[in-house]
Amino acid sequence: MTNFSKKLLAATTLAAVALAGSAGLLAAQEKPVIATVVKISGIPWFDRMNTGIVAYQKANPDVVASQSGPATADSAQQLQIVNDLVAKGVNALAVVPMDPAVLEGTFQRAMDRGIVVVTHEADNQMNTNADVEAFDNADYGAALNERLAECMGKEGKWTTFVGSLGSRTHMQWVGAGEENAKKYSGMQLVDPNNESFDDANGTYEKAKEILRKHPDIKGFQTSAGNDVLGVGRAIDEAGLSGKVCLVGTGLPNPSADLLESGAITAIGFWDPQKAGMAMNAVAKMLLEKKQLTDGMDLGVEGYNKVSVKKGAGKGVLILGNGMVLADKATYKQHMF
Amino acid sequence: MTPSSETLAAAPSVSARAGFGALVRRRPETITALLLVAICGTVAVVNPAFLQPATLIDIGRASVVMGLFALGVFIILAAGGIDVSFTAVAALTMYSMTVLAQSILPDLPIAVILLLSTLGGAGLGVINGLLVHHLKVPSLIVTIGTQYLYRGFLLSFIGTVWIMSLPPQMGAFGRMPLLQFSAANGATITLPFYFLVLPVAALATWWILNRTLMGRAIFAVGGNADIASRLGYSLRTIHIFLFGYAGALAGLAGIIHVCANRQANPFDLVGTEINVIAAVVLGGARITGGTGTVLGTMLGVLLIVVINSVLVLVGIPSTWQRLVVGSFILLAAAFFVTRQRKK
Repeated sequence: MTNFSKKLLAATTLAAVALAGSAGLLAAQEKPVIATVVKISGIPWFDRMNTGIVAYQKANPDVVASQSGPATADSAQQLQIVNDLVAKGVNALAVVPMDPAVLEGTFQRAMDRGIVVVTHEADNQMNTNADVEAFDNADYGAALNERLAECMGKEGKWTTFVGSLGSRTHMQWVGAGEENAKKYSGMQLVDPNNESFDDANGTYEKAKEILRKHPDIKGFQTSAGNDVLGVGRAIDEAGLSGKVCLVGTGLPNPSADLLESGAITAIGFWDPQKAGMAMNAVAKMLLEKKQLTDGMDLGVEGYNKVSVKKGAGKGVLILGNGMVLADKATYKQHMF
Repeated sequence: MTPSSETLAAAPSVSARAGFGALVRRRPETITALLLVAICGTVAVVNPAFLQPATLIDIGRASVVMGLFALGVFIILAAGGIDVSFTAVAALTMYSMTVLAQSILPDLPIAVILLLSTLGGAGLGVINGLLVHHLKVPSLIVTIGTQYLYRGFLLSFIGTVWIMSLPPQMGAFGRMPLLQFSAANGATITLPFYFLVLPVAALATWWILNRTLMGRAIFAVGGNADIASRLGYSLRTIHIFLFGYAGALAGLAGIIHVCANRQANPFDLVGTEINVIAAVVLGGARITGGTGTVLGTMLGVLLIVVINSVLVLVGIPSTWQRLVVGSFILLAAAFFVTRQRKK
């Protein structure tokens, strides 16, 4: 081995040790720890949720609240993070599952150990104490579609995008959208359920292809947060802003330009900040052994009078009324 | 007279068959070209909407970033190595460059931005080359390591926030048209100016591989590295050049991706390596090195882009799309391998 490569090896070893050492931050705490785990960390949606966790922490100094998540949309990586947290012995988990089925086993083990499990965007999760939803998914999908139909003049070809076919909420939204569109005989669904993988560029390519295949298409209903950006860019570049309608889940800040140009008709969303706070509020109530009752107030906007139903498994399903639909005229009230 | 006339009659067909076999052996990209034509033909029959200039332009536009990546992978593959870090190189340079142009040097002209990204990519590539040469570890392992390293560095130290409004000069570059016309439904179809980068890079790569000493050295190393070094080729120089060049192409591809996409997403690109490597292999380059052509690589890229972009057009539902892409890759690869084994 040359001298150079020895030095290189030594430097690499040193760097690796330094990095590993700094990772051991979550030391033993006296206060109950509520760990929030999101689908992907660092994207605007979950950055916004993080502001909710930070705000919740500030308002509730008697717990330790923090957020983490994988760097890519990968259910296996998320599973690993949840496993690590269970091994570390947190008191409560507040998880936004990438794929609920993947996490069932770990959640069951966590609950057996007395860890409180709260989920979000996973109303089919069996092993959870409570699943918190911002709204009824069917209502949301129908509301998006109603807005789209209104823009399309209740007739013409339209299509749908989902993050992935395995994404339950997305499938519920487009499913409810299709149901809603049946009210209007002039609306014709073509090539539905295109998978976007939440990638704006991939969605853009697919949207261009759909515009080419169906030159007379009038509407797009999209689901994942980046879909409106990809489809919107395709509409904008084709000079079809205002001629083709686009309604989908999106965030006000990234969508601002395309809303202004008219490429996006309207965006629907719930505030992830409030959802994060609501999840943590429920986790804290469960840690304090309080009852979850129908019509209770979680102390978070949009969750002041939640409905509590029986969930898919042993736990309960908590529905808020946090749906927001914003267009060019109204998006500025919700800048995040 | 009869036997000889029979021979005469049979001769052309025999030589035609041998001719095709020899052609495929000499130029394996013939198969790629035939596959491409076959797919386009089939799609055009299924849905005549395929036959419009907009399709060609969409395919051309979609090939740019992948094509630049593929040229870099190809040149490394030709020398018997492999690189899986190029997407991380691209992500790191494009995002750092966007941050730089947005918050520190807002008046940087676009030419300088492109140049700096290319140089930045080259720098990261040279690190790859040095590691491969001095650690004497297979380049696959080294570049898996650096892929994590570069990406980790990007996300830990540069940032994780999406940049939605680019510096104006970058946005303008992404939108600058080379060719523009209107379709029947009033939609505007644009071939962007940045498309030109791909043919230029392809020509440069062809020139390096076929007209310079470095090109000979690269194929010699791909054939047999030990013999090449005994012949007097400096392996260190070759490794640094190879990975530096691939890194430069990756850096350029990254910044073009940002300009075209109108957003800089630090989580982008990484994860698309396999598609690119598949394109290069489908273009006739052997994964063990020493063979391949630039033309073949470009055909391989076109093949992957076309397959990916006609699935909706022929009405293959979302669940089936991956199945179809996978089958195509296996089919073409199997065809190549059997062809090459007959050598």
